[in-house]
Amino acid sequence: MKHKKYPIVIVGGSAAGLTAGITARRHYPGKDILLVREEKRVLIPCGIPYVFGTVGSPNKNLIPDAVLEKNDIELLVARATDIDCEKKVLHTTDGDVGYERLIIATGSRPAMPPIPGFDLDGVYTVVKDIAYLSELQQRLETSNDVVIIGGGFIGIEFADEINKAGDKNVTIVEMLPHCLALAYDEEFCVEMEKVLESRGINIRTSSRVAKVAGDGKVEKVVLSGGDEIEADIVIVGIGAVANVDLAQKAGLRIGLTGSVAVDRTMQTSDENIYACGDCAEKISFFGGRPSPLKLASIATLEARIAGANLFGIRRENVGTIGVWSTAVENTALATAGLTEGMAEKRGYDAVAVTVAGPNRHPGSMPGAAMTKVKLVFERNSGVILGGQVLGGPAAGEISNIISACVQNRMTAEDIAMFQTGTHPALTASPIAYHMVNAAEMAIKQMRERGG
Amino acid sequence: MTKILVIDDDADFRLAVQMVVEAYGFEMEEATTPDEGISKVLSLKPDLVILDVMMPTDYEGFDVAREVREKHNLIDLPILMLTNVHSVKKVPYRFAPDKDYLPVDVFLDKPIEPEQLVATIQEMLGERREEPEHPL
Repeated sequence: MKHKKYPIVIVGGSAAGLTAGITARRHYPGKDILLVREEKRVLIPCGIPYVFGTVGSPNKNLIPDAVLEKNDIELLVARATDIDCEKKVLHTTDGDVGYERLIIATGSRPAMPPIPGFDLDGVYTVVKDIAYLSELQQRLETSNDVVIIGGGFIGIEFADEINKAGDKNVTIVEMLPHCLALAYDEEFCVEMEKVLESRGINIRTSSRVAKVAGDGKVEKVVLSGGDEIEADIVIVGIGAVANVDLAQKAGLRIGLTGSVAVDRTMQTSDENIYACGDCAEKISFFGGRPSPLKLASIATLEARIAGANLFGIRRENVGTIGVWSTAVENTALATAGLTEGMAEKRGYDAVAVTVAGPNRHPGSMPGAAMTKVKLVFERNSGVILGGQVLGGPAAGEISNIISACVQNRMTAEDIAMFQTGTHPALTASPIAYHMVNAAEMAIKQMRERGG
Repeated sequence: MTKILVIDDDADFRLAVQMVVEAYGFEMEEATTPDEGISKVLSLKPDLVILDVMMPTDYEGFDVAREVREKHNLIDLPILMLTNVHSVKKVPYRFAPDKDYLPVDVFLDKPIEPEQLVATIQEMLGERREEPEHPL
């Protein structure tokens, strides 16, 4: 089938592709937009762990297509197979599509470390595919021993959701000294490990998997120290790899991290083609080196840049701050920017301050949760580098506030002078407001150091 | 002269790489099996290795990478894994550099454009070379 030419064509229908389309519609209201995606229905990527517990099924974790209709974005369900950059034509399994500007938002695929035994029956990873996840869900129903390799966000969320069934031995195997150690300082990781263990999840940290063993099918996971963990299902959750098949085939430049190389406007090596989301290369907000982070929130930010810049530069990417959160039962962890450990590793002279207290006042108010906020500043400038939050559901929004501070390079003094609104049923006390008090304490430390 | 060792059982691929890298003034050596590859890594002391995965059918290249790093302790030798393992095995996931399980610096899928190959090699080596006089 021969399709018409569109001013804007987007490949990919998940967080980045959809947001790029919505953004393009806002910025270019008169232009026709076509979104090409392979999947009939698109999973909400961050919701995948919850398919196995809270949500109950992959089919209940879908991005509604009504968003496309509402934004007057045409949909073509087909696989994009190649791009003729010279003629500006996208080839798909359902015919050719001409474009003036193309956005590649092809996402990522889960990474599989070639651990001996990785190809045994019963080894799964986190594939964003309804049929694949449905099969895993079915297998889990008859499994007793589940081992999850990787104690990052995906790993702990999968562990907790699978563990909710109550009749399985769930074990997380993490190579680092703590779960979530790539995102939080140790004291926060320990708190979350305690929560997980109190819910019956086994945690093996500082443990390297030597092999997955079994006769055609998974039977056990063998650790490098010789310990063996019985397993009938192994789930590998160690990260994701950019899906650059289409971009690479088209001859677009691929960066050293294996993602589509882009500039700060999200333009690729072809001036008519943009890339955003997990498939696009990222640089860190701190220092500008390549960043391995892949998050839906980063993807949508990049999509808002790409979608706005298609016919002239309107936005630029300042780099990835890294804002993320997770929750197990009532305990939430959230982070933005650098932890104290990361800051020191990168060579910053960091001042870190932790403040703990209830998020209501008085602390006997309904919904009160002990909340711990740690902020990290650069000592000489006083500029905030990041922060971490442990507490109730509000932790996620507090880390978003921290991110706003980081992005605007606010100083401890700026934060100490925050004009906040407080209420007994909604927030911490105005006398003990976490962010403000942490900033005040940091100022004191910086002054003491300066004499 | 900067020496690149290509460990790959595909003669056509080795020849294609040779044409590209020699045009940019690199010296190329080749090995066709994992054992020969390891042996030449040790004897020829290349500046960079381009390593296949399936030689011929399984995941031999992964073992070569681990042996180079772990057994022979060549932790600084740049290794570019260049393979069509994903398309041949039709797996829903992707292999990627991993300090412990897949200790290579860069992992790319075949086919690769000559310009991309040269750019990657140069970036890995931290150098920039002039374009060849005649187009590839």
